[in-house]
Amino acid sequence: MNYKPDEATLIAYLYGELEEGDQIKVAEYLQKNPEERKRLEEWSFTKSVMAHLHDKEVIAPPIIFGEDSNHVPLWKENYFRMSLGIAASLLFFMVAARLLGLSASYSPGEFKIGFGMREKSATKEVPMLTEQQVSKMIQSSVAINNEALETSWQQERKSLEQSIQKNLHSNSLKLDQLMQTTSAASQEQVRSFVGQLQSDNLKLMKDYMQLSAKGQKEYVESLLVDFSKYLDEQRKQDLQFLQARVNKVEQNTDQFKQETEQILTSLITNTSTNNQRRN
Amino acid sequence: MVKTLPDVVMMHSDVLISQAREGDRHAQGKLVQLWHKRIYNFSYKFFYDHDLAMEAAQKTFISMHRNIAYLQDAARFRSWLYTIAVNCCREELRKRKSERSVSLSDLRPGEAEDSYMWERSGDRGENPERVLRQTELTDLLQACLMQLSEEQREVVIMKEYEGLKFREIAETLNISENTVKSRMYYGLEALKRIFERRRITKETIGYEL
Repeated sequence: MNYKPDEATLIAYLYGELEEGDQIKVAEYLQKNPEERKRLEEWSFTKSVMAHLHDKEVIAPPIIFGEDSNHVPLWKENYFRMSLGIAASLLFFMVAARLLGLSASYSPGEFKIGFGMREKSATKEVPMLTEQQVSKMIQSSVAINNEALETSWQQERKSLEQSIQKNLHSNSLKLDQLMQTTSAASQEQVRSFVGQLQSDNLKLMKDYMQLSAKGQKEYVESLLVDFSKYLDEQRKQDLQFLQARVNKVEQNTDQFKQETEQILTSLITNTSTNNQRRN
Repeated sequence: MVKTLPDVVMMHSDVLISQAREGDRHAQGKLVQLWHKRIYNFSYKFFYDHDLAMEAAQKTFISMHRNIAYLQDAARFRSWLYTIAVNCCREELRKRKSERSVSLSDLRPGEAEDSYMWERSGDRGENPERVLRQTELTDLLQACLMQLSEEQREVVIMKEYEGLKFREIAETLNISENTVKSRMYYGLEALKRIFERRRITKETIGYEL
Protein backbone atom coordinates (compact mmCIF):
# COMPACT_ATOMS: atom_id res chain seq x y z
CA MET A 1 0.00 0.00 0.00
CA ASN A 2 1.62 3.21 -1.19
CA TYR A 3 -0.41 5.80 0.64
CA LYS A 4 1.25 9.21 0.87
CA PRO A 5 -0.76 12.11 2.24
CA ASP A 6 -0.26 15.52 0.68
CA GLU A 7 0.69 18.69 2.58
CA ALA A 8 -2.92 19.79 3.04
CA THR A 9 -3.83 16.44 4.58
CA LEU A 10 -0.83 16.57 6.92
CA ILE A 11 -1.80 20.07 8.04
CA ALA A 12 -5.42 18.97 8.60
CA TYR A 13 -4.08 15.98 10.59
CA LEU A 14 -1.93 18.32 12.69
CA TYR A 15 -5.00 20.34 13.66
CA GLY A 16 -7.26 17.29 14.05
CA GLU A 17 -9.60 18.26 11.25
CA LEU A 18 -9.47 14.99 9.33
CA GLU A 19 -12.20 12.38 9.08
CA GLU A 20 -11.70 9.38 11.38
CA GLY A 21 -10.70 7.05 8.55
CA ASP A 22 -8.17 9.50 7.11
CA GLN A 23 -6.87 10.19 10.61
CA ILE A 24 -6.03 6.49 11.08
CA LYS A 25 -4.44 6.26 7.63
CA VAL A 26 -2.16 9.21 8.29
CA ALA A 27 -1.23 7.90 11.76
CA GLU A 28 -0.22 4.56 10.21
CA TYR A 29 1.72 6.37 7.49
CA LEU A 30 3.60 8.41 10.09
CA GLN A 31 4.49 5.27 12.04
CA LYS A 32 6.06 3.87 8.90
CA ASN A 33 7.78 7.14 7.91
CA PRO A 34 9.90 8.56 10.76
CA GLU A 35 11.08 11.48 8.59
CA GLU A 36 7.53 12.67 8.00
CA ARG A 37 6.80 12.13 11.69
CA LYS A 38 9.78 14.27 12.58
CA ARG A 39 8.55 17.01 10.28
CA LEU A 40 5.17 16.92 11.96
CA GLU A 41 6.84 17.08 15.38
CA GLU A 42 8.73 20.18 14.27
CA TRP A 43 5.46 21.79 13.25
CA SER A 44 3.98 20.86 16.61
CA PHE A 45 6.96 22.49 18.30
CA THR A 46 6.48 25.63 16.19
CA LYS A 47 2.83 25.66 17.25
CA SER A 48 3.73 25.23 20.88
CA VAL A 49 6.21 28.12 20.67
CA MET A 50 3.66 30.37 18.96
CA ALA A 51 1.20 29.52 21.74
CA HIS A 52 3.37 31.64 24.06
CA LEU A 53 2.12 34.70 22.22
CA HIS A 54 -0.82 35.52 24.44
CA ASP A 55 -3.76 37.78 23.87
CA LYS A 56 -3.50 41.34 25.08
CA GLU A 57 -6.03 42.59 27.49
CA VAL A 58 -7.88 45.54 26.17
CA ILE A 59 -10.91 47.46 27.31
CA ALA A 60 -13.52 47.85 24.65
CA PRO A 61 -14.04 51.53 24.00
CA PRO A 62 -17.56 52.84 24.20
CA ILE A 63 -18.82 52.76 20.65
CA ILE A 64 -21.99 54.79 20.34
CA PHE A 65 -23.97 54.03 17.28
CA GLY A 66 -25.70 57.01 15.79
CA GLU A 67 -28.91 57.11 13.91
CA ASP A 68 -29.69 53.86 12.24
CA SER A 69 -28.41 54.33 8.77
CA ASN A 70 -30.57 51.50 7.52
CA HIS A 71 -33.73 53.34 8.37
CA VAL A 72 -34.09 55.97 5.70
CA PRO A 73 -37.10 58.28 5.72
CA LEU A 74 -39.60 57.80 2.96
CA TRP A 75 -38.81 61.11 1.33
CA LYS A 76 -35.12 60.20 1.17
CA GLU A 77 -35.72 56.87 -0.53
CA ASN A 78 -34.47 56.74 -4.09
CA TYR A 79 -37.62 55.20 -5.53
CA PHE A 80 -39.75 57.85 -3.81
CA ARG A 81 -37.60 60.62 -5.28
CA MET A 82 -37.69 59.05 -8.69
CA SER A 83 -41.48 58.61 -8.71
CA LEU A 84 -41.90 62.18 -7.40
CA GLY A 85 -39.70 63.43 -10.23
CA ILE A 86 -41.70 61.48 -12.82
CA ALA A 87 -44.97 62.81 -11.38
CA ALA A 88 -43.66 66.38 -11.46
CA SER A 89 -42.51 65.95 -15.06
CA LEU A 90 -45.92 64.58 -16.08
CA LEU A 91 -47.71 67.44 -14.33
CA PHE A 92 -45.45 69.95 -16.07
CA PHE A 93 -46.09 68.29 -19.39
CA MET A 94 -49.87 68.30 -18.84
CA VAL A 95 -49.92 71.98 -17.85
CA ALA A 96 -47.74 72.91 -20.82
CA ALA A 97 -49.98 70.86 -23.14
CA ARG A 98 -53.07 72.57 -21.73
CA LEU A 99 -51.56 76.04 -22.19
CA LEU A 100 -50.31 75.32 -25.69
CA GLY A 101 -53.52 73.58 -26.72
CA LEU A 102 -51.77 70.37 -27.57
CA SER A 103 -53.97 67.79 -29.18
CA ALA A 104 -53.12 64.35 -30.36
CA SER A 105 -55.33 62.03 -32.34
CA TYR A 106 -54.92 58.62 -33.82
CA SER A 107 -56.88 57.03 -36.57
CA PRO A 108 -55.98 53.95 -38.60
CA GLY A 109 -52.98 54.86 -40.71
CA GLU A 110 -52.32 58.29 -39.22
CA PHE A 111 -51.22 59.90 -35.95
CA LYS A 112 -51.66 63.65 -35.52
CA ILE A 113 -50.11 66.04 -33.00
CA GLY A 114 -51.20 69.63 -33.17
CA PHE A 115 -51.15 72.88 -31.24
CA GLY A 116 -53.99 75.35 -30.87
CA MET A 117 -57.74 74.96 -31.49
CA ARG A 118 -58.66 72.41 -34.06
CA GLU A 119 -60.78 73.65 -36.98
CA LYS A 120 -64.03 71.85 -37.51
CA SER A 121 -64.00 70.08 -40.81
CA ALA A 122 -66.75 71.21 -43.21
CA THR A 123 -67.04 67.92 -44.92
CA LYS A 124 -69.01 65.28 -43.29
CA GLU A 125 -67.43 62.01 -42.82
CA VAL A 126 -68.26 59.72 -45.66
CA PRO A 127 -69.02 56.20 -44.77
CA MET A 128 -66.67 53.64 -46.07
CA LEU A 129 -67.13 52.58 -49.75
CA THR A 130 -66.37 49.28 -51.28
CA GLU A 131 -63.94 48.90 -54.13
CA GLN A 132 -66.68 48.08 -56.62
CA GLN A 133 -68.67 51.15 -55.63
CA VAL A 134 -65.62 53.30 -56.13
CA SER A 135 -64.92 51.77 -59.55
CA LYS A 136 -68.56 52.32 -60.58
CA MET A 137 -68.40 55.91 -59.43
CA ILE A 138 -65.23 56.45 -61.41
CA GLN A 139 -66.70 54.86 -64.54
CA SER A 140 -69.92 56.91 -64.34
CA SER A 141 -68.00 60.15 -63.83
CA VAL A 142 -65.72 59.27 -66.75
CA ALA A 143 -68.77 58.59 -68.99
CA ILE A 144 -70.39 61.89 -68.02
CA ASN A 145 -67.17 63.73 -68.75
CA ASN A 146 -66.85 62.03 -72.13
CA GLU A 147 -70.40 63.02 -73.11
CA ALA A 148 -69.86 66.60 -72.08
CA LEU A 149 -66.57 66.79 -73.96
CA GLU A 150 -68.13 65.28 -77.11
CA THR A 151 -71.01 67.79 -77.14
CA SER A 152 -68.68 70.71 -76.62
CA TRP A 153 -66.38 69.50 -79.40
CA GLN A 154 -69.35 69.19 -81.81
CA GLN A 155 -70.57 72.71 -81.01
CA GLU A 156 -67.09 74.14 -81.53
CA ARG A 157 -66.69 72.31 -84.80
CA LYS A 158 -69.99 73.66 -86.10
CA SER A 159 -69.16 77.21 -85.16
CA LEU A 160 -65.74 76.89 -86.81
CA GLU A 161 -67.20 75.56 -90.03
CA GLN A 162 -69.71 78.43 -90.13
CA SER A 163 -67.03 81.08 -89.61
CA ILE A 164 -64.79 79.54 -92.27
CA GLN A 165 -67.58 79.50 -94.82
CA LYS A 166 -68.47 83.10 -94.02
CA ASN A 167 -64.87 84.27 -94.48
CA LEU A 168 -64.51 82.42 -97.75
CA HIS A 169 -67.64 84.02 -99.11
CA SER A 170 -66.59 87.59 -98.20
CA ASN A 171 -63.10 87.10 -99.69
CA SER A 172 -64.47 85.81 -102.96
CA LEU A 173 -66.74 88.84 -103.19
CA LYS A 174 -63.82 91.24 -102.73
CA LEU A 175 -61.78 89.48 -105.35
CA ASP A 176 -64.58 89.68 -107.80
CA GLN A 177 -64.95 93.47 -107.29
CA LEU A 178 -61.26 94.00 -107.75
CA MET A 179 -61.18 92.03 -110.95
CA GLN A 180 -64.12 94.01 -112.26
CA THR A 181 -62.47 97.43 -111.61
CA THR A 182 -59.19 96.42 -113.23
CA SER A 183 -60.88 95.15 -116.33
CA ALA A 184 -62.95 98.36 -116.58
CA ALA A 185 -59.86 100.73 -116.94
CA SER A 186 -59.39 102.08 -120.61
CA GLN A 187 -56.22 102.36 -122.80
CA GLU A 188 -56.42 106.17 -123.06
CA GLN A 189 -56.39 106.70 -119.41
CA VAL A 190 -53.17 104.70 -119.31
CA ARG A 191 -51.54 106.79 -122.00
CA SER A 192 -52.47 110.10 -120.36
CA PHE A 193 -51.13 108.86 -117.12
CA VAL A 194 -47.78 107.91 -118.69
CA GLY A 195 -47.48 111.27 -120.56
CA GLN A 196 -48.17 113.25 -117.44
CA LEU A 197 -45.56 111.22 -115.72
CA GLN A 198 -42.92 112.01 -118.41
CA SER A 199 -43.63 115.76 -118.38
CA ASP A 200 -43.32 115.85 -114.67
CA ASN A 201 -39.95 114.16 -114.86
CA LEU A 202 -38.66 116.59 -117.46
CA LYS A 203 -39.66 119.64 -115.46
CA LEU A 204 -37.97 118.22 -112.46
CA MET A 205 -34.70 117.70 -114.37
CA LYS A 206 -34.70 121.28 -115.69
CA ASP A 207 -35.14 122.79 -112.27
CA TYR A 208 -32.37 120.65 -110.99
CA MET A 209 -29.94 121.71 -113.74
CA GLN A 210 -30.70 125.39 -113.27
CA LEU A 211 -30.17 125.21 -109.61
CA SER A 212 -26.92 123.34 -110.02
CA ALA A 213 -25.43 125.85 -112.60
CA LYS A 214 -26.15 128.87 -110.40
CA GLY A 215 -24.52 127.21 -107.43
CA GLN A 216 -21.42 126.37 -109.42
CA LYS A 217 -21.02 129.96 -110.58
CA GLU A 218 -21.28 131.35 -107.08
CA TYR A 219 -18.80 128.82 -105.85
CA VAL A 220 -16.15 129.69 -108.55
CA GLU A 221 -16.52 133.40 -107.84
CA SER A 222 -15.96 132.99 -104.17
CA LEU A 223 -13.03 130.76 -104.93
CA LEU A 224 -11.37 133.41 -107.14
CA VAL A 225 -11.87 136.11 -104.55
CA ASP A 226 -10.32 134.00 -101.88
CA PHE A 227 -7.33 133.20 -104.10
CA SER A 228 -6.67 136.88 -104.87
CA LYS A 229 -6.77 137.69 -101.16
CA TYR A 230 -4.28 134.98 -100.57
CA LEU A 231 -1.91 136.33 -103.19
CA ASP A 232 -2.01 139.86 -101.75
CA GLU A 233 -1.25 138.63 -98.33
CA GLN A 234 1.66 136.55 -99.54
CA ARG A 235 3.12 139.51 -101.43
CA LYS A 236 2.96 141.70 -98.35
CA GLN A 237 4.77 139.12 -96.31
CA ASP A 238 7.50 138.76 -98.94
CA LEU A 239 8.04 142.50 -99.07
CA GLN A 240 8.33 142.70 -95.32
CA PHE A 241 10.84 139.92 -95.36
CA LEU A 242 12.93 141.59 -98.08
CA GLN A 243 12.81 144.89 -96.24
CA ALA A 244 14.11 143.25 -93.10
CA ARG A 245 16.90 141.57 -94.97
CA VAL A 246 17.96 144.80 -96.67
CA ASN A 247 18.01 146.60 -93.33
CA LYS A 248 20.23 143.93 -91.91
CA VAL A 249 22.66 144.20 -94.87
CA GLU A 250 22.82 147.95 -94.36
CA GLN A 251 23.62 147.52 -90.72
CA ASN A 252 26.35 145.05 -91.52
CA THR A 253 27.84 147.41 -94.07
CA ASP A 254 27.88 150.28 -91.62
CA GLN A 255 29.51 148.12 -89.00
CA PHE A 256 32.11 146.95 -91.52
CA LYS A 257 32.88 150.55 -92.42
CA GLN A 258 33.39 151.49 -88.84
CA GLU A 259 35.66 148.56 -88.22
CA THR A 260 37.66 149.34 -91.30
CA GLU A 261 38.03 152.94 -90.18
CA GLN A 262 39.15 151.84 -86.80
CA ILE A 263 41.70 149.51 -88.29
CA LEU A 264 42.97 152.18 -90.64
CA THR A 265 43.29 154.75 -87.87
CA SER A 266 45.12 152.24 -85.73
CA LEU A 267 47.44 151.44 -88.62
CA ILE A 268 48.02 155.06 -89.21
CA THR A 269 48.76 155.75 -85.61
CA ASN A 270 51.06 152.81 -85.47
CA THR A 271 53.00 153.88 -88.49
CA SER A 272 53.26 157.43 -87.24
CA THR A 273 54.54 156.30 -83.89
CA ASN A 274 57.02 154.00 -85.53
CA ASN A 275 58.24 156.80 -87.66
CA GLN A 276 58.62 159.03 -84.66
CA ARG A 277 60.63 156.42 -82.87
CA ARG A 278 62.85 155.98 -85.85
CA ASN A 279 63.39 159.64 -86.02
CA MET B 1 -7.58 27.32 23.55
CA VAL B 2 -9.05 27.79 27.01
CA LYS B 3 -12.64 28.84 26.81
CA THR B 4 -13.63 31.57 29.21
CA LEU B 5 -17.15 32.69 30.10
CA PRO B 6 -17.18 35.40 27.45
CA ASP B 7 -15.98 32.84 24.88
CA VAL B 8 -18.90 30.58 25.75
CA VAL B 9 -21.30 33.51 25.52
CA MET B 10 -19.80 34.42 22.15
CA MET B 11 -20.35 30.94 20.81
CA HIS B 12 -23.99 31.00 21.84
CA SER B 13 -24.95 34.53 20.94
CA ASP B 14 -27.52 33.68 18.27
CA VAL B 15 -30.24 35.58 20.09
CA LEU B 16 -28.06 38.66 20.36
CA ILE B 17 -27.19 38.47 16.66
CA SER B 18 -30.82 38.14 15.61
CA GLN B 19 -31.77 41.11 17.82
CA ALA B 20 -28.87 43.13 16.41
CA ARG B 21 -30.01 42.29 12.86
CA GLU B 22 -33.39 43.75 13.71
CA GLY B 23 -31.72 47.04 14.70
CA ASP B 24 -31.52 46.56 18.48
CA ARG B 25 -28.67 48.90 19.43
CA HIS B 26 -28.35 47.39 22.88
CA ALA B 27 -27.74 43.98 21.33
CA GLN B 28 -25.24 45.51 18.92
CA GLY B 29 -23.43 47.10 21.87
CA LYS B 30 -23.33 43.73 23.62
CA LEU B 31 -21.83 42.13 20.51
CA VAL B 32 -19.14 44.81 20.46
CA GLN B 33 -18.31 44.12 24.09
CA LEU B 34 -18.14 40.40 23.42
CA TRP B 35 -16.09 40.49 20.22
CA HIS B 36 -13.88 43.52 20.72
CA LYS B 37 -11.06 41.63 22.41
CA ARG B 38 -10.94 39.02 19.67
CA ILE B 39 -11.01 41.51 16.83
CA TYR B 40 -8.49 43.76 18.56
CA ASN B 41 -6.06 40.86 19.17
CA PHE B 42 -6.45 39.64 15.60
CA SER B 43 -5.68 43.15 14.33
CA TYR B 44 -2.84 43.64 16.81
CA LYS B 45 -1.13 40.40 15.77
CA PHE B 46 -1.61 41.41 12.17
CA PHE B 47 -0.15 44.93 12.64
CA TYR B 48 1.96 44.63 15.83
CA ASP B 49 0.64 48.13 16.47
CA HIS B 50 -1.85 49.13 19.17
CA ASP B 51 -3.24 52.25 17.48
CA LEU B 52 -3.73 50.58 14.13
CA ALA B 53 -5.36 47.61 15.84
CA MET B 54 -7.76 49.89 17.74
CA GLU B 55 -8.54 51.76 14.52
CA ALA B 56 -9.20 48.56 12.60
CA ALA B 57 -11.37 47.16 15.41
CA GLN B 58 -13.40 50.35 15.58
CA LYS B 59 -13.95 50.38 11.81
CA THR B 60 -14.89 46.70 11.93
CA PHE B 61 -17.65 47.32 14.46
CA ILE B 62 -18.93 50.42 12.68
CA SER B 63 -19.16 48.34 9.52
CA MET B 64 -20.87 45.57 11.49
CA HIS B 65 -23.46 48.07 12.76
CA ARG B 66 -24.15 49.30 9.23
CA ASN B 67 -24.36 45.93 7.54
CA ILE B 68 -25.62 43.46 10.11
CA ALA B 69 -29.17 43.86 8.81
CA TYR B 70 -27.98 42.24 5.55
CA LEU B 71 -26.43 39.19 7.30
CA GLN B 72 -28.37 36.22 5.94
CA ASP B 73 -27.37 33.45 8.34
CA ALA B 74 -26.72 34.13 12.03
CA ALA B 75 -24.61 30.96 12.21
CA ARG B 76 -22.05 32.59 9.92
CA PHE B 77 -21.67 35.68 12.07
CA ARG B 78 -18.13 34.79 13.16
CA SER B 79 -16.69 34.32 9.68
CA TRP B 80 -18.66 37.36 8.48
CA LEU B 81 -17.17 39.51 11.26
CA TYR B 82 -13.65 38.27 10.54
CA THR B 83 -14.16 39.03 6.86
CA ILE B 84 -14.90 42.63 7.81
CA ALA B 85 -11.92 42.69 10.15
CA VAL B 86 -9.56 41.34 7.46
CA ASN B 87 -10.78 43.92 4.98
CA CYS B 88 -10.34 46.74 7.51
CA CYS B 89 -6.82 45.50 8.35
CA ARG B 90 -5.88 45.34 4.67
CA GLU B 91 -7.24 48.84 4.14
CA GLU B 92 -5.30 50.21 7.11
CA LEU B 93 -2.14 48.48 5.94
CA ARG B 94 -2.56 49.98 2.49
CA LYS B 95 -2.97 53.43 4.01
CA ARG B 96 0.05 52.88 6.24
CA LYS B 97 2.18 51.84 3.27
CA SER B 98 1.13 54.93 1.37
CA GLU B 99 1.74 57.27 4.33
CA ARG B 100 5.05 55.69 5.40
CA SER B 101 5.02 57.44 8.76
CA VAL B 102 5.68 55.60 12.01
CA SER B 103 5.38 57.00 15.51
CA LEU B 104 8.44 56.64 17.69
CA SER B 105 6.37 55.18 20.50
CA ASP B 106 5.12 52.51 18.11
CA LEU B 107 8.61 51.17 17.40
CA ARG B 108 8.85 49.46 20.74
CA PRO B 109 5.41 49.35 22.34
CA GLY B 110 5.49 49.16 26.08
CA GLU B 111 8.39 51.47 26.76
CA ALA B 112 6.76 54.87 26.70
CA GLU B 113 5.05 56.07 29.85
CA ASP B 114 1.78 56.74 28.08
CA SER B 115 1.89 53.37 26.35
CA TYR B 116 -1.13 51.15 26.52
CA MET B 117 1.15 48.53 28.14
CA TRP B 118 0.73 50.34 31.43
CA GLU B 119 -3.02 49.85 31.15
CA ARG B 120 -2.57 46.10 31.35
CA SER B 121 -3.79 44.74 34.67
CA GLY B 122 -3.30 41.01 34.18
CA ASP B 123 0.36 40.99 35.14
CA ARG B 124 0.04 42.99 38.32
CA GLY B 125 1.26 41.13 41.38
CA GLU B 126 3.35 38.68 39.36
CA ASN B 127 7.10 38.27 39.49
CA PRO B 128 8.55 41.30 37.69
CA GLU B 129 11.45 39.29 36.25
CA ARG B 130 9.05 36.71 34.86
CA VAL B 131 6.85 39.46 33.43
CA LEU B 132 9.87 41.00 31.73
CA ARG B 133 10.92 37.70 30.22
CA GLN B 134 7.39 37.00 29.05
CA THR B 135 7.24 40.45 27.49
CA GLU B 136 10.50 39.90 25.70
CA LEU B 137 9.34 36.51 24.44
CA THR B 138 6.03 37.98 23.27
CA ASP B 139 7.80 40.74 21.39
CA LEU B 140 10.17 38.19 19.86
CA LEU B 141 7.35 35.93 18.70
CA GLN B 142 5.36 38.87 17.39
CA ALA B 143 8.43 39.99 15.44
CA CYS B 144 8.69 36.47 13.99
CA LEU B 145 5.02 36.60 13.01
CA MET B 146 5.55 39.92 11.27
CA GLN B 147 8.16 38.30 9.02
CA LEU B 148 5.48 36.19 7.36
CA SER B 149 3.72 37.42 4.26
CA GLU B 150 0.35 39.07 4.78
CA GLU B 151 -1.55 36.09 3.37
CA GLN B 152 0.29 33.57 5.56
CA ARG B 153 0.00 35.84 8.62
CA GLU B 154 -3.78 36.15 8.21
CA VAL B 155 -4.20 32.37 8.05
CA VAL B 156 -1.77 31.61 10.91
CA ILE B 157 -3.44 34.14 13.22
CA MET B 158 -6.94 32.91 12.42
CA LYS B 159 -5.95 29.29 12.93
CA GLU B 160 -3.54 29.52 15.86
CA TYR B 161 -5.04 32.34 17.89
CA GLU B 162 -8.64 32.75 16.79
CA GLY B 163 -9.34 29.03 16.57
CA LEU B 164 -11.23 29.09 13.29
CA LYS B 165 -11.73 25.90 11.34
CA PHE B 166 -10.08 25.69 7.90
CA ARG B 167 -13.58 25.80 6.38
CA GLU B 168 -14.35 29.03 8.26
CA ILE B 169 -11.04 30.62 7.25
CA ALA B 170 -11.75 29.72 3.61
CA GLU B 171 -15.19 31.29 3.95
CA THR B 172 -13.75 34.39 5.61
CA LEU B 173 -11.05 34.97 3.00
CA ASN B 174 -13.26 33.76 0.13
CA ILE B 175 -10.68 31.22 -1.04
CA SER B 176 -10.64 27.41 -1.23
CA GLU B 177 -9.96 25.25 1.79
CA ASN B 178 -6.92 23.69 0.14
CA THR B 179 -5.47 27.17 -0.45
CA VAL B 180 -5.91 27.89 3.26
CA LYS B 181 -4.11 24.66 4.21
CA SER B 182 -1.37 25.43 1.70
CA ARG B 183 -0.85 28.89 3.18
CA MET B 184 -0.81 27.37 6.66
CA TYR B 185 1.78 24.81 5.58
CA TYR B 186 4.09 27.45 4.10
CA GLY B 187 3.47 29.69 7.12
CA LEU B 188 4.57 26.97 9.56
CA GLU B 189 7.59 26.13 7.42
CA ALA B 190 8.58 29.80 7.35
CA LEU B 191 8.17 30.14 11.11
CA LYS B 192 10.30 27.03 11.64
CA ARG B 193 13.10 28.55 9.58
CA ILE B 194 12.77 31.89 11.41
CA PHE B 195 13.02 30.11 14.77
CA GLU B 196 16.10 28.27 13.62
CA ARG B 197 17.66 31.52 12.45
CA ARG B 198 16.90 33.17 15.79
CA ARG B 199 18.05 30.08 17.72
CA ILE B 200 14.68 29.55 19.37
CA THR B 201 14.75 25.99 20.67
CA LYS B 202 13.11 24.01 23.46
CA GLU B 203 16.04 24.84 25.70
CA THR B 204 15.97 28.57 25.09
CA ILE B 205 12.22 28.66 25.52
CA GLY B 206 12.59 26.80 28.80
CA TYR B 207 15.21 29.34 29.87
CA GLU B 208 13.01 32.24 28.89
CA LEU B 209 10.13 30.85 30.91
